[in-house]
Amino acid sequence: MGAIQSTLIQLLQGFKFTFGIFFFTLIFSIPLGLLVSKGRMSKIKIVSLIFQLYISILRGTPLMLQLLLVYFGPYYIFGINLGSIQIGPFNYRFIATIVAFSLNYAAYFAEIFRGGIQSMSKGQYEAATVLGFSKMQTYFKIILPQVVKRVLPSVSNEIITLVKDTSLAQVLSVTEMFTKASAAASAQVSVIPFIVAGAFYYVTNLIIEQILNRVEKSMSYYS
Amino acid sequence: MPEKSDVVLEISKVYKSFEDLEVLKGISMEVRRGEVVAVIGPSGGGKSTLLRCATTLEKVDAGKIAIGGDVLCEDGQYCDKKLEKQIRSKFGLVFQNFNLFPHFSVRRNITEALIHVHKMSKEEADKVCNGLLKKMDLMQKANDYPCNLSGGQQQRVSIARALATNPEIIFFDEPTSALDPELTKGVLNVIKELAKEKMTMVIVTHEMSFARDVADRIIFMDGGVIVEEGPAYELVTNPKQERTKAFLAGY
Repeated sequence: MGAIQSTLIQLLQGFKFTFGIFFFTLIFSIPLGLLVSKGRMSKIKIVSLIFQLYISILRGTPLMLQLLLVYFGPYYIFGINLGSIQIGPFNYRFIATIVAFSLNYAAYFAEIFRGGIQSMSKGQYEAATVLGFSKMQTYFKIILPQVVKRVLPSVSNEIITLVKDTSLAQVLSVTEMFTKASAAASAQVSVIPFIVAGAFYYVTNLIIEQILNRVEKSMSYYS
Repeated sequence: MPEKSDVVLEISKVYKSFEDLEVLKGISMEVRRGEVVAVIGPSGGGKSTLLRCATTLEKVDAGKIAIGGDVLCEDGQYCDKKLEKQIRSKFGLVFQNFNLFPHFSVRRNITEALIHVHKMSKEEADKVCNGLLKKMDLMQKANDYPCNLSGGQQQRVSIARALATNPEIIFFDEPTSALDPELTKGVLNVIKELAKEKMTMVIVTHEMSFARDVADRIIFMDGGVIVEEGPAYELVTNPKQERTKAFLAGY
């Protein structure tokens, strides 16, 4: 009984970081993804190519490798020691994790947003133009709300994947839930910590699924 | 000659090409206040392109376009953004496939531009909207979304949206081509009503009998030029040009 209790406490401590990675990655990667998709759709060829390359590399290499590169890269490549950086309660390990996750997820979001934006009919832009809406108004009032509805199912997919991907932060020894579960499992010589961690991930995603379903339903008043 | 201030739309020697294809080959026309002009002709003849140029959706290569006395372009040179915006508030455009905003209610489709472009208060905009919905016989649909309306109702909403800003001229781009005959009637009746109220209108249409009955003047376009123009009834019943005769024989 004591073992399970201490496992639970350790996992809950780890969950704070798991949720932190999840939360901050979403906060940063969604706006960044919008910007990247804009760049990818740029009429200036070189700009479009640069963002295409960005998307290609970040989607084409392992996230674990990207984590390691962001963490160790500054020191081993440029000789800059960032190890002592601390922003509020967040140390460099955690910050590097958020940076790598955000850059990676932005690439996926960018392609999803591009699909959504390009699926909008030209007529919506034209109607907005002749009514006198500015480019900004057209984008934020007319285009974006409709794009959100269209991309939500694909974005939901990414959000759920992200919950599970947070476990990759283990490679940087971030004390998130999976790191804690691994430690507990080897200390107790037991798979119970893994099973409990699995339950945590699943319940988290179950809740997220319910929320996303509700959001989707709230936008089903038009087609 | 009509007074210059009476000319709401002036198009003069307008040329427009898409890559190698010359679509408009020197079009000139004038529409006076209160006049209803129908533009007819075969597909690919340049009617829609002309309308799109007049409504700032396409840029002309050469020529002059002026709306309500404001010069949009002259010799292919366009005015600045500020004047362009002012010109956009002087006309309305009704699209073939409506292009309503699907995520807005009928009311919001009509009031959004009034509030956020023309800086009207919400109460004022609602008042304008109610008047138009009554006119379009759509009062009970004010809070519905476009997807729950018939095609005819959607087109009437988009006419209301175009009228809301109190434009000097309204352009219609084949307003009934996406509708079945029964729904077409309702939309054409609305346009007839507007004609009675002396609304200045340019209507690209394939509805020949409608053009004959409602328009003051008909312009027949083919191959990027105006082949013939004249009083509506006369042009339809007694066309002078062979090309016009051949086209009208198809109806």
